[in-house]
Amino acid sequence: MAIMARLRNKPSAEVSLWQDAWRRLRRNRLAVLGGLVIVALGFTAIFADVIAPYHYTKAHFLHTYELPNRDFWLGTDSLGRDMLSRIIYGARISMLVGFVAQLIVVSIGVPVGAVSAFYGGKVDLVIMRFVDVMYAFPRLLFVILLMSMLGAGLFNIFIAIGLTGWVNIARLTRAQILSLKEKEFAEGARAAGAGGLWVLGKHLLPNALTPIIVAVTFGIPEAIFTEAALSFIGVGINPPTPSWGQMVGEYQQYILSYWYLCVFPSVAIALTMLAFTFLGDGVRDALDPKLRD
Amino acid sequence: MLNQAQLRLFEARLASIGVGRRDFLRMLAGMSAAGTMFLTTSAPTVRAAPAPGEKLAKAQVFRHGGFNDEPGSFDVNKDLYCNCEWNVFAGLMRFTPDYVSVPWLAEKVESNADGSVWTFRLRRDAKWSNGDPVTAHDFAWSWTRQLDPATAAPYSAFLYDLKNGEAFNKGQVKDAHEVGVKAVDDYTLQATLEGPRGYFPVLVAYAAALPAHRPSVEKHGDKWTEPANIVTNGPWVLESWSHHKQFTLKKNPHYFDRDNITLERVIYPIIPRASGFLPYDNHEVDYALVPPGDLRRLQADPKASKEIIRYFYPGTFYLVPQVTTPPFDHPKVRQAMSHAIDRKIIAERISQGFGIPAHAMIPPGLPGHFDDEALKQLQRFDPTLAMESLKGTPYEGGKNWPKIVMSMRDEPYAAKPMAEGVQAMLQEALNMPTELEVLEPRVFRERLWKHDLQLIWIRWFMDYPDPHNEYFDTFYGKRTTGKRQAWANEAFDDLISKARGELDTPKRMALYRQAEEVLQTDVGYIPVVWTVRYVAFKPWVKGLPRNKDGHIIPDGNIFRGMLEHIYIVEH
Amino acid sequence: MPYLIRRVLWLIPTLLAMALVTFLVMHATPGSPLEPEGGNNPLSPAEQKNLAAKYGLDRPLWEQFGRFLINALRGDFGHSYVYKTRTVAEILWDALPVSLRLGAMALVIAAGLGVCLGVLAAVHQNSLWDYVSVTTAMVAVSIPNFVMAVFLILLFSFLIPVFPTGGWGGPRDWVLPTVTLALAPMAIIARYTRSSMLEVIRSDYIRTARAKGLAETAVISKHVLKNAFIPVLTLLGPLFAAVGTGSFFVESIFRVPGMGRFFVISMTGRDYPMIMAVVLCYGVFLAVMNLIVDLLYGVLDPRIRVGAKG
Repeated sequence: MAIMARLRNKPSAEVSLWQDAWRRLRRNRLAVLGGLVIVALGFTAIFADVIAPYHYTKAHFLHTYELPNRDFWLGTDSLGRDMLSRIIYGARISMLVGFVAQLIVVSIGVPVGAVSAFYGGKVDLVIMRFVDVMYAFPRLLFVILLMSMLGAGLFNIFIAIGLTGWVNIARLTRAQILSLKEKEFAEGARAAGAGGLWVLGKHLLPNALTPIIVAVTFGIPEAIFTEAALSFIGVGINPPTPSWGQMVGEYQQYILSYWYLCVFPSVAIALTMLAFTFLGDGVRDALDPKLRD
Repeated sequence: MLNQAQLRLFEARLASIGVGRRDFLRMLAGMSAAGTMFLTTSAPTVRAAPAPGEKLAKAQVFRHGGFNDEPGSFDVNKDLYCNCEWNVFAGLMRFTPDYVSVPWLAEKVESNADGSVWTFRLRRDAKWSNGDPVTAHDFAWSWTRQLDPATAAPYSAFLYDLKNGEAFNKGQVKDAHEVGVKAVDDYTLQATLEGPRGYFPVLVAYAAALPAHRPSVEKHGDKWTEPANIVTNGPWVLESWSHHKQFTLKKNPHYFDRDNITLERVIYPIIPRASGFLPYDNHEVDYALVPPGDLRRLQADPKASKEIIRYFYPGTFYLVPQVTTPPFDHPKVRQAMSHAIDRKIIAERISQGFGIPAHAMIPPGLPGHFDDEALKQLQRFDPTLAMESLKGTPYEGGKNWPKIVMSMRDEPYAAKPMAEGVQAMLQEALNMPTELEVLEPRVFRERLWKHDLQLIWIRWFMDYPDPHNEYFDTFYGKRTTGKRQAWANEAFDDLISKARGELDTPKRMALYRQAEEVLQTDVGYIPVVWTVRYVAFKPWVKGLPRNKDGHIIPDGNIFRGMLEHIYIVEH
Repeated sequence: MPYLIRRVLWLIPTLLAMALVTFLVMHATPGSPLEPEGGNNPLSPAEQKNLAAKYGLDRPLWEQFGRFLINALRGDFGHSYVYKTRTVAEILWDALPVSLRLGAMALVIAAGLGVCLGVLAAVHQNSLWDYVSVTTAMVAVSIPNFVMAVFLILLFSFLIPVFPTGGWGGPRDWVLPTVTLALAPMAIIARYTRSSMLEVIRSDYIRTARAKGLAETAVISKHVLKNAFIPVLTLLGPLFAAVGTGSFFVESIFRVPGMGRFFVISMTGRDYPMIMAVVLCYGVFLAVMNLIVDLLYGVLDPRIRVGAKG
């Protein structure tokens, strides 16, 4: 009875974990800064049509390759397209690549890891062996292989990055659930007659979430990075859609003649990655139970 | 075109080496079928002597920075695109910087009355780098090897003009001896063609007709072009090859014209495109091609700008709307597109000068170039006319466009910015949105032959300067292999086949002019720019070959031989 | 011991699976090696048949894969489709040591400098030094290494002409590529070292040691460092992978004749034997490195019983 009562009133530890984490995160200045930058990027991505001075396909043929000036704050490219506008629209692609790829990663990785940990035994063995094989594959190599097979395009990038990235999340999920499986409240719940999946969903997973959240936060800049690398090699996004990675890859050869073509998108990528990294650090510190006060 | 005085001089020269009047007339007939041509008795290297005040450097070594990839091999006969230095081999004919075909290892060229049988008499002093004499048997064997289906040579179709060449290559004729090339004796090669082909001596000057050394091939197989095994007959010999790092050539001691060559050694470090122009800046090489990314800063630099040379690299970028897929199945849509493109902007601003505006297939300075106003008007830039041309089509007013994908092959030198420029222009003039897909070369080609591409942005490099090459290989509708697009036109095909056998030059050119007009009015293609390249030579490299207008012509797809002209001065 | 043997044995099916996946993806990729890269025509059907026979591509897929495996065990990876005068084994034999050396040098620098920087930052936490090094590390991680390469060349080949723009002749050629490759891993190692050291410093038993009166340096060197290394060790595995794959770009830009370059070249050239060989090389290398790291992990931290469930 007491156990049931305890279950019904959420244990105080659970509530204050999230509240406490949020408090600690707020105090971390760098993380807050990172978060704000990401929110700003999100807004830029969504409202690009309003913010950007020109449409990203608008070409000004008489103003090609211009240095940053009053009309074109960050200069123009080979067709006279405004770099500022293209970078603004590029935020869309980068945000999309980062978030959607991670969404796929989580949708595959978490269930796989959870099922494997929870059911244990043969299921666990088979799944973990498969994970080991995937892990042995150098990730960028595999992504390039997949992109060659699928061809260029945004959707294919989601698939390639998603299909190769779920492994880490699966491992993390499994490790977390394994360690929590032994803890009291799961046993208690089971003793009270709760079914397996219910226990899994309601109790184990929320607690297993913390390292996953951290991994996902760090995975977003990694996805953006991968997209840049793919574009550098040549299997990336199709023009005229602007993507920061594609701009960096294409204009890297022009760096000595028109430095701004490569530098500004690089700065955009770097800032985004910095923001996510600061936020990720902050989230990890905030959720770390050992650092609670 | 030869005038009377030149003809008489020419006749006299030939008489001095034993070419009688009848032979001369026959040769003339063959020559005129090939357009402007000047057959000299030999092709000696014009030795550029150092100018007064110039002192030759002690080490005549040239560092060539023009190779971006490791050569796959040096077997040009089997694999034209092995990405090696072609000049290690010598062929029957070669091109001068004026793109004129002149005899090289051949001494005399003659044909029968209608130009369907060509006989090449070889010089007797040509030798392979191991001392073996170069004989007609070498060429007969090499060309047969190229056509042999067992060799799987990518450029085998180049020799389809030889009798039974195509049949042998496709396996319909099994016996190699039935192919129309044979060594009548050790120094006489006879080529029997499928029909009158006046351009044959021009065709034969292209690198796709270079020989291979039979004993080496038979002894070493695929490894015969390794430096320890290779035997070549050209001015240069492969001295060493440090794979993926560099290879070096040295002067072939058995080359018949070696005394006229000043350079002793040529070093080729392999410089991937990713490294850009930096090795040249850093004085690690003496010659390099200028990538689009570095052009602007080099032109801005007072010293470097003097080292840059701009030259035409005979080739054309053009757009092909696939006539079997909507919306391009409407001729009016294609016509609208042809008026929507501002070629001047693409050539001058977007590609930064890596192209000149093109209004026909053949670039200026080459036989078959047409410059008349009527032709230029056919696809002139006129955005209003472009939009008006859509009247009567389902896309009138620039609406209802289906999904359009423009496909191109991944290649350097501003190909992609130019394609994007075309995209932007189609959008602006016709409201036609397109998506550009950049494909890998093999994927592009596979879909090209299948006519699976909707709108094609494609670049053509000339193989030999004859309009037959330009029109037949690209647009002839009845091609048995390698048809690049679904477009075909009876009138065009008739003109091309007639022109192929026509021996009178003015008549022949007139036929090609008509063909170009048909091609453009039916909008089988939309020419956009002719290709241009920039190269840089260090100031101590002298003796660069020039054409008759005084322009420097470095090695390219057609002319190869600058190494024989160059000398290094002290620095 | 049985753990070690088990792990080594597990390498075999892992590598097999990796080879199989690569093989299947490779063959599913459009663009056949029977299509030449240039030229005015495709190969005639007769020519394609002959070329396919020469490459062994006319056999059924399972037979091709089987042959590849059997030959690979003997060290025969076949002839390169692109570099026609050489076998794949010859090419890799020249290229692999170069990549290994570049990777090793980069990792040594990354680990060595990274740990030092991390320790210093942790010990002087919240000082100027700490903030500067953390920020520099962040920046180093955020810039793609192919962009970093160009910046470094600009700086050290042009503005301050100390190093050549590329090549792999002598020690001077090694510096720029190694530094480019080492920067991001170094930054990551520095950050992790710092945070794990901070964690250990604050932990209970260190407080106990200090309370017992041990001198500060003794505390740090004896206890903290040893425990701080463990998380860094866990990073080494993925870092090997990162350095290995990062070498694609670095090797291209700096003209280093290593294996990384070949992967991209072999992909565009549809050089099947080369692709399989390069992927397998990377896979073996990674697996072996991971095994060594796991063993070292067990040695360094007695709390972790190697072979325990988890």
